[in-house]
Amino acid sequence: MKKIISSSQNDRKVKLKFNDMLDIVKNQRMFSLFFPFAMLLLIIALFSILTKGSFCTAGVMKSIFNQSMIIGTLAIGMTFIFTTGDVDFSAGNVMGLAAAVGALVYQNGQNIVTTICVTIVMGILLMLCNYTLSVVLHIRSAMVAIIGLTLYASITQQIVGAGTLRIDYNLCRNLESGAFRYISFMLFFGLCLLVYYWTPIGRQLRFIGGNVECARQAGINITKARCIGFLLAGLGIGLAGVYQIIRTGSVSSSVGNGMGMDVMLATVLGGMSIFGGAKSNAYSGFTGALTICALNQGLLMVGVPSTVIQGVRGVIFLLLVVLNSERAATLPSRQQF
Amino acid sequence: MSKKNEIIAEIKNISKNFGVTVALNQVNMQIRRGEICGLIGENGSGKSTVMSILSGMQNATSGEMFYKGKIWKPSNALEAARNGIGIIVQEIGTIPTISVAENIFLGNYDRFRRYGMINRRQMYKAAQLVLEKLNIVGVDASATTDTYSIEQRKLIEIAKVMANNPEILIIDETSTAISETGRQVLYRLMHDMASQNKAVVFISHDLEELMEHCDALNILRDGCLIDHLEKENFVAEDIKEKMIGRKLTGNYYRVDMDGYDSEVVLRADCITTMEDLMCFNLELHKGEILGIGGLSSCGMHTLGKAMFGLTEVIDGQVVLTDGNVVIKNPKSAFQHNMGYISKNRDTESLEINASIGSNIQSTGFEKNKWFGPFISAKKEKKYAQLMVDTLAIKCTGILQPVKALSGGNKQKVVFGKWVGVDADILILDCPTRGVDIGIKSAMYQLIYDMKKKGKSIILISEELPELCGMSDRLIIMKNGKITGEFFRKDGYKNTDLIECMI
Repeated sequence: MKKIISSSQNDRKVKLKFNDMLDIVKNQRMFSLFFPFAMLLLIIALFSILTKGSFCTAGVMKSIFNQSMIIGTLAIGMTFIFTTGDVDFSAGNVMGLAAAVGALVYQNGQNIVTTICVTIVMGILLMLCNYTLSVVLHIRSAMVAIIGLTLYASITQQIVGAGTLRIDYNLCRNLESGAFRYISFMLFFGLCLLVYYWTPIGRQLRFIGGNVECARQAGINITKARCIGFLLAGLGIGLAGVYQIIRTGSVSSSVGNGMGMDVMLATVLGGMSIFGGAKSNAYSGFTGALTICALNQGLLMVGVPSTVIQGVRGVIFLLLVVLNSERAATLPSRQQF
Repeated sequence: MSKKNEIIAEIKNISKNFGVTVALNQVNMQIRRGEICGLIGENGSGKSTVMSILSGMQNATSGEMFYKGKIWKPSNALEAARNGIGIIVQEIGTIPTISVAENIFLGNYDRFRRYGMINRRQMYKAAQLVLEKLNIVGVDASATTDTYSIEQRKLIEIAKVMANNPEILIIDETSTAISETGRQVLYRLMHDMASQNKAVVFISHDLEELMEHCDALNILRDGCLIDHLEKENFVAEDIKEKMIGRKLTGNYYRVDMDGYDSEVVLRADCITTMEDLMCFNLELHKGEILGIGGLSSCGMHTLGKAMFGLTEVIDGQVVLTDGNVVIKNPKSAFQHNMGYISKNRDTESLEINASIGSNIQSTGFEKNKWFGPFISAKKEKKYAQLMVDTLAIKCTGILQPVKALSGGNKQKVVFGKWVGVDADILILDCPTRGVDIGIKSAMYQLIYDMKKKGKSIILISEELPELCGMSDRLIIMKNGKITGEFFRKDGYKNTDLIECMI
């Protein structure tokens, strides 16, 4: 029906406006696919130049990867919830509670294997609780997140008390430097990619995020797909809780505070809309987490004070939101994120 | 005083691009006083685009416009409305949560302002007056807008546009959304405007309606103005040909008198829903096209939803005869090879941000399994491509987002979802709504082919010609009850059908 300029010779050449050109670039499918990676590479290249190469060393890279692991694991799991358009920012506190329970089990004389298992199971159970509230009882996910945020934070404080729950330092160091973290992370990441891209679940979740009514009319089992999504998110949260314990060797009462927001930030930085839908990707959270950590590390190494880093992050976030926003073709409205 | 036939607005060499796609290409048009000017063309031919530019909703890429002899460059729709260009848009243009009066005077609250406060009583009164003037009955100006049906909201929108006393009234495919009574209101309004030496632009897919009410007709195709016809030169066949750019060959509807099996495949046993239906019985046979017609509020849309398990059936049950399966939700309907096409294409049948491919594949996960729970991407790609090819969907590829397609092609994608899974029972609710002639005839062929393959089809439609042309058996409903049943083999007259409807 509509012609493409290049294909019709007799059309007058029309000068494109900047906004139109921006739209064309943004509408390229490959753009949204490669943009986050390009962003990450750009940051690495930029700081490598600024620090005259010392940023681009194996040690720094490894440290960035290690830092991004907790947020990354959380974000990969939470993608399954964000994809359906649910805005859940309680992930950090769910992880905090799971870690606190795990640490409590350790304090009561259990070994580290039980601690790890309990932490993971707690993550899954707490997300099942969120699932019941938002899917079964139809409470809005943002509302569930607010409830979860305060409730879980308060329970964590009760468990931990005034001090911190300590886990044997040497044990944690061994676990952190050993293969356990990498292997478990790779297994989890692999599982998520598999479910997201090679089973109907990922496709169904995207559809639910795009248009629930359409998904319902296409006979998709919405509750089942979302349940699996929450389970995987719970698994990710539990795993992130384990990494949190072994990274610091202790659990304080403020563990996980504010991390839910970081997870959302990472997801958006990774090129995905926070409202889910067709453009969602399972790996977005992880690329986003890497980008944040690379940025933090780079800014620190250049000598930017940490208070300013927050501001820089804000500006970059704003830029991304503008680039990611979709403009309706006819009406001057703007759908953010 | 303004004279009849004086040019009130002129569009000169208007072009509009959306990125690289050209929606309008050097369009020229004149709008004259005292004239109802029709605008016709296939989906995506640029009808709505050209009028939205005139009414300030978007800017043209190039070209210029004149209004009342002066150069016209509206920066937004409000400016256009204040200067006397009113548009009734295709989409819903009212805000559901505020009162009818507030919708009608949206943006013009100042005239009711006293000491900084808005005098609501006065506003309600004024709004009621506007409604009365237009003969819109049964709408209370002080009620919240969402208490009214979509159709009544459309009438409220008409009142909203008329409250500004427009000199040019643009009606964009509004008539398809409203029933006969609403249409009469609209037609009268158009003729009133014309007799007051104001101008009307009427966009519609319904050629008969256009030929009856318009004084002149502009035909658009692929963003170009193809022809301008005066009333005395209206010939239906000629106009159709100019619209689609080729002669329509073959038969529009089916011509055969083939019957259907006596075997019942789907049955509604005395079903009652929250709205509309009360102890309703229906039987669908194998290989049958069962037409269901009536006024839009007669309950036929609810019936379609109830048969697919989308609306809760509070008493009675919908039963698949094969295995005595009770359909309770869309999931079970889908599992037993049923399909449903909603009348609300963009909001219910499609995920418009997703690609054509993923929309078509959304019903075919089971078919495209590799092993276990895993999907074969290769199979899936082939599956979607096959549908795009067989249905001749005009697109750049299966990865193109659905929102970039025109209405007719979007509907083809919806059909692709169900042709792909090879559904045995299909419930089609207004499948050709807002679709142009070329694609309509392709769909009728498709529906007929499905019947030939032994599929059973329920065709719910507000268009009588379509129902008469396609159905083996036709049921007319009124107030949630069957008031007439007609058989293709017996033959019947249109007037009989209308009598059952009203």
